[in-house]
Amino acid sequence: MKLNYKLVLTVVSLGALLTASCQKETLDQAPQASLDASTAIKDAASVTAATLGIYSGYQSANYYGLRYQIFADLYADNMAHTGTFPSYAAIANKQILPDNTEISAMWNSMYSSINRANTVIAAVPTVADASVVKDNVLAEARILRANLYFDLIRYWGGSNTGFNKAGGIGVPLILTPTLVEADAAPKARASEATVLGQVISDLDFAIGVSTFGNGNVAGRVGKDYAKALRARVALYMGDYATAQNYATELITSTRYTLTAGADYKNIWALKNTRESLWEIQYEPTNSNGIAFQYYTTATGGRNEIGTASGLNTAHEAGDLRQSVNATATGGTASNLKTLKYTRVATGDDNVVMFRLSELYLIRAEARAQIGADLVGALADVNVVRTRAGLPASAAATTADLMTAILKERRIEFAHEGHRFFDLKRTNTLATTIGAASFGTVGAINNSFRALWPIPQREVLTSGGIIAQNTGY
Amino acid sequence: MKKLLQSLFILMLVASAAFAQDRTITGTVTAKEDGSALPGVSIQVKGTKVGTQTSADGKFSIKVAQGQSALTFSFIGFIPKTVTLGNGSNINVSLESDSKVLSEVVVVGYGTQSKREITGSQSTVKAADIANAPILSPEQALQGRAPGVQVTQASGTPGGGISVRVRGPSSIGASNQPLYIVDGVPINTGSYTQLGAGGQLTNSLGDINPSDIESLEVLKDAAATAIYGSRASGGVVLITTKRGANQATKLTFNSYYGVQELYKQLPVITGQEYITLLNEAVNTRYGATTGYNYLTGLSNNPANYANTNWQDYIYKTAAVKNYDLSIRGGTDKTKFSVSGSYFDQDGIVIGSGYKRYSGRVNIDNKISDKFNVGISSSFSNATSNRVNNDNNIYGVVSGSILLGPHVPAYNANGTYGGDPVSSVDNPVASALETTFTAVNNRLFANAFGEYKITDNLKFKSSFGVDYVQSRDRRFYPTTVNAGRGSKGSGAEGYNQEMNIVNENILSFNKTFAGKHALNAVAGVTYQTSQYESIYAAATVFPGNSIRRISAGAVKTDASSGGTSYGLVSYLARANYTFADKYIIQGSVRVDGSSRFGANNRYATFPAASVAWRASEENFLKNSKIISDLKFRASYGLTGNQEIGNFSSLPLFGVGAYIQSGSLVPTQLGNPDLTWETAKSYNFGFDLGFFDNRLSFTVDGYRRNTVELLLAQPLVGTSGFTSIQKNIGAVKNEGLELGLNAVIVNSKDFKWDANFNYTKNKNQVSTLYGGIPFASGFASWVEQGQPLGAFRGYVVDRLFQSAADVAGSPLHSSATRAGDIKFKDLNGDNVITAADQQIIGQGLPTFFGGLTNNIKYKNFDVSFFFQFSGGNQIYNNTRAFSEGMNGLFGQTTAVLNRWTPTNTNTNIPRAIYGDTPNNRRTSTRWLEDGDFIRLKNANIGYTFSPSLVKRLKLNSLRIYAAGQNIWTKTKYQGLDPEVSTFSDTNTAPGTDFLTFPQARTFTFGINVGF
Repeated sequence: MKLNYKLVLTVVSLGALLTASCQKETLDQAPQASLDASTAIKDAASVTAATLGIYSGYQSANYYGLRYQIFADLYADNMAHTGTFPSYAAIANKQILPDNTEISAMWNSMYSSINRANTVIAAVPTVADASVVKDNVLAEARILRANLYFDLIRYWGGSNTGFNKAGGIGVPLILTPTLVEADAAPKARASEATVLGQVISDLDFAIGVSTFGNGNVAGRVGKDYAKALRARVALYMGDYATAQNYATELITSTRYTLTAGADYKNIWALKNTRESLWEIQYEPTNSNGIAFQYYTTATGGRNEIGTASGLNTAHEAGDLRQSVNATATGGTASNLKTLKYTRVATGDDNVVMFRLSELYLIRAEARAQIGADLVGALADVNVVRTRAGLPASAAATTADLMTAILKERRIEFAHEGHRFFDLKRTNTLATTIGAASFGTVGAINNSFRALWPIPQREVLTSGGIIAQNTGY
Repeated sequence: MKKLLQSLFILMLVASAAFAQDRTITGTVTAKEDGSALPGVSIQVKGTKVGTQTSADGKFSIKVAQGQSALTFSFIGFIPKTVTLGNGSNINVSLESDSKVLSEVVVVGYGTQSKREITGSQSTVKAADIANAPILSPEQALQGRAPGVQVTQASGTPGGGISVRVRGPSSIGASNQPLYIVDGVPINTGSYTQLGAGGQLTNSLGDINPSDIESLEVLKDAAATAIYGSRASGGVVLITTKRGANQATKLTFNSYYGVQELYKQLPVITGQEYITLLNEAVNTRYGATTGYNYLTGLSNNPANYANTNWQDYIYKTAAVKNYDLSIRGGTDKTKFSVSGSYFDQDGIVIGSGYKRYSGRVNIDNKISDKFNVGISSSFSNATSNRVNNDNNIYGVVSGSILLGPHVPAYNANGTYGGDPVSSVDNPVASALETTFTAVNNRLFANAFGEYKITDNLKFKSSFGVDYVQSRDRRFYPTTVNAGRGSKGSGAEGYNQEMNIVNENILSFNKTFAGKHALNAVAGVTYQTSQYESIYAAATVFPGNSIRRISAGAVKTDASSGGTSYGLVSYLARANYTFADKYIIQGSVRVDGSSRFGANNRYATFPAASVAWRASEENFLKNSKIISDLKFRASYGLTGNQEIGNFSSLPLFGVGAYIQSGSLVPTQLGNPDLTWETAKSYNFGFDLGFFDNRLSFTVDGYRRNTVELLLAQPLVGTSGFTSIQKNIGAVKNEGLELGLNAVIVNSKDFKWDANFNYTKNKNQVSTLYGGIPFASGFASWVEQGQPLGAFRGYVVDRLFQSAADVAGSPLHSSATRAGDIKFKDLNGDNVITAADQQIIGQGLPTFFGGLTNNIKYKNFDVSFFFQFSGGNQIYNNTRAFSEGMNGLFGQTTAVLNRWTPTNTNTNIPRAIYGDTPNNRRTSTRWLEDGDFIRLKNANIGYTFSPSLVKRLKLNSLRIYAAGQNIWTKTKYQGLDPEVSTFSDTNTAPGTDFLTFPQARTFTFGINVGF
């Protein structure tokens, strides 16, 4: 039996050895395609990467990669739903329910980007790398955050009658990153004024950073975009003087020029023309499906959305933009598409976030509303009309100018995500699309629909802390 | 606990010592019936306390003092025998079995046990049960044959996913599939494809050739499963493959050939009816005189269009064939089994198919009386030809229903017909033009060495590797919609998973003083898994001939990834039987997993069980009627760790912008993350009559699964939508009945039957904050409801007039006569989202099977019915094919649509775009899912030995068999056994353009050489 005991001892000692070493080795596994969050942002390279991460969020199909700008036209009279998704149909029919998956996807995606911005804003001050110009990083992140909050307000906030009205409702204002579960506790909606105040403060911070550039790196925001967005926000808020000032500053800067009318389609065909203040960049390897959603199956798309026939007929004769806004790819009324998104195969259409022509129309509207320079207002409108190959307008009163400006904006920014917001902020939803008409997909026949419903999921998950908009 | 088990492991090694004696008698003990060696037979020198036991091969060696003249051999289940010693030192003894008890040995976790000792609940399916069925993967063998085991083939896709639920689904967020163990090694399961097809996945278990399987044991209650700890809450399936035996080498050839066909088509309307319908729908919506032309610019005249029933084009009669060749044999020292097979199934949907080559080599070698080594190894190569289906506009079955019948399959010039305005592609083009394959290679090898330290104590160490490699390819040429815009679109993926398992097991088996039987195991196991993947995609190809990524001018994607996990386990089990009557068993496993949070890395899973063999008590022992009666009870804990590998960590992931890398927060950490725990109770009894010619097994169970691994929803404003937590609970309660009867057992006529029935009640008992959530198309997870409940509106009737609409709760501004009136459940006089309720459930509440095997002289006949019910099916196919909302093909139900002149109907009016939302999720699309199916039937003829001898063969049998021969159901869809979401936890029982199962007739031959 001695042999057996020896064997037993050998096996036991071997076993014990094996146990100790294998146990640690077996259980020590680390992710290969991710980083530990607590140490991810630590030097110049990671700060840049985390900042670009905010842009990656902008590229999402749930933000400017498709939904944000498309729905603003679909939830109005510029676009038609020609496809199969019931959630799109509900938007086109202006019958959005709080459990519509599109709106919760957009909401979640936008707040995810806000968290990315907040993460950068909170981490940068503690980074020890001397090559990081902290104020520049903060300026960039805060512009992107401001844009996100403004965009949230446009769909989910404000009042039934527009923006910056008394009692306007906002969205939860989150300014610190979610690092641990406790940070994720629901927060009630702030007032519209508070949120817009933060937007202005973020933009003003960026405008005030002396080392921060105007925006020379293609695809990234600079001071100019902050000023342009500031002008847009001011216009929405009725702060016409500010809108006019920033618009004027950028128009006269000569850094931006209008593309010739004959080349209008090249703004999108060529990418990054001198008309754009900022375009979200896409490449075949980092693409979007916007053109795919538009184009017919015969041309490689899925024919989900198209140009509303009403938009097509809204063009005046000779308008050089008509062939861009309403191309007859299928040859039929419901198969009108756009040349603003055409790259079905590669999905690398850029998304234009701000163009010089909008600054002209912002200034026109600001001047019209202030009332002191109606001639200047008309001149600004006519800059855009002339470029489009149209005769000059002769509108001479604030009311006439507003009609001309709104019409011009509808055509000029079709498919770019302005239409619903323009109708909402000018309180013309009911008069413009309040009744179903032939060829129009649906009508906003309840004033509460000027605000989208807060996603049902958000109301439920917050236990009611995040309150639903009235009417839903 | 971990330490304790480590010490126990060591202690068991040391504790066993043999007794030294003087004179030696050696020999072998065998069973009288079949001559097989009997291990563990207790041998005692008569009149003394001196004793020993036979070893695994039935051998014994005992020292007998001078003057002692007899040995007593006793073994549970056999009649004890006393042998008087002669002069020789070698005696061979054969024991006769005591017919009243079961001597069967069954495979259990980390060993085997005599069926008598079993205290838990487990079911067996043997090779013979599945011998003639044309099944592709091992799970199919369990369907309808094991009580408590519900097997759902999600579709008829060759090589497609199969869902197995042992005693109901117990998890919401983690996997509910059982743990599969092949010859002792936990194997990789699930789908490895990186390319989605719309609904159906691939199934890597298809790599295992069913004809290599000797037995499948399904472990169900905690007594049986807890030894597998953190992976056992979904049950455990032990697959044992065929091995060689000490016999003359036998060569066997089995083959079958079959034809498969679609057994049901959906009744679709004609092209003319379709145009008429669209004219009507468009005019209803937009006003008269617009019609189909308004949408498309094309003619409104139905006569100008084709009439295509796409189903005639995409379904075909398809072949299935299988060839199996095996050579098995061996000597006393070496036993071997070598087998190879080729399986080839063409799908009944054009473009689909599955092909598998597989080989297996199992060898056992006895190096010495004390030392055995062996290896199990297999290789397989399986190729799936896939087609898009289900929720996919490029699908084939999908297109056959959703593309309008007015489109010709082919244009006059030979190109494929298409609908210029519909997003749905021509299904014939989708099937025939697209390249879409998945290749799965699997290499499996497990080598073991077993050393007999003493006659009662063995140490076994094994080293196993399970390597799965999967290769995906898809190319959309410009002849299909998916590739048209992108000028050809290709994607390829490679991935592999390498699973390495090392197990070190001590087992002890001894009967003390003839009355106290102890069977124990203890062990330490290590498992690591490494997963790697690579993926690339490109567009813009130079034509459709070169279909590899290298030809795509624009590379749209290139990525690679890797992940891993590790599991360290300590386990022990002891089973003690007193006087063959009272059995008590305890087991414990401690698992440490890399998947869990630093604070909760280890967990302990204990189980305890008892059994009482009442039939051994004096009051029953001599009963002529009751031959077996055993009561069993068990309680224990098992776990589930089937979530992502790094769900507990706070993570940053990667992205890109302006061709630079970006970093983004992707996951919130939870250092407390730990296992799901299932607390299982089982009470059961086994009852046999008339020498067990009639036997029942009845089990009642309750399993509460708590601390579910579930994504707790977070408010989106946090930047995250969920965090992985241990929250929520699910409860399963049920009753299982198994019945075996040998109805006739004469020389020429044998008839036996097997029936099983399971009733399971599933309930989501707790959800985070009680917040319900939606899943799938109509499924709804809500506290107090079963998993897979359906929620929706309740249809009342159709509105018949404007006054009717005006006098009813407000539906929508678009609602008119001919639209559906839904019930105003909350009575607020307006139909809103609040007017939805639970309208059905997708999980069957009962299921089972009935098998009959009849042998008359040389003929054998068997038939097997499978049934399930108590569930509904959400027929989302009808929501499209009867929805009349867009440009989709429709079924004939719409011909009875409401019009001012056809008001006595339940089909609403046609309105383009369905503005009143008649096709919303409602009871309209819910159907009864009960079905009974003659799953398998076959008739065979075995040639008489005399004839076979003349042919120089050993045996010869021919047979004809049928699969899915007959189905009785009220379900209107193609197949009541369906799940568009494949192996889903939360949305079972949903049909959406899913590939139906085929009816198959096969002819086969079994030849022994």
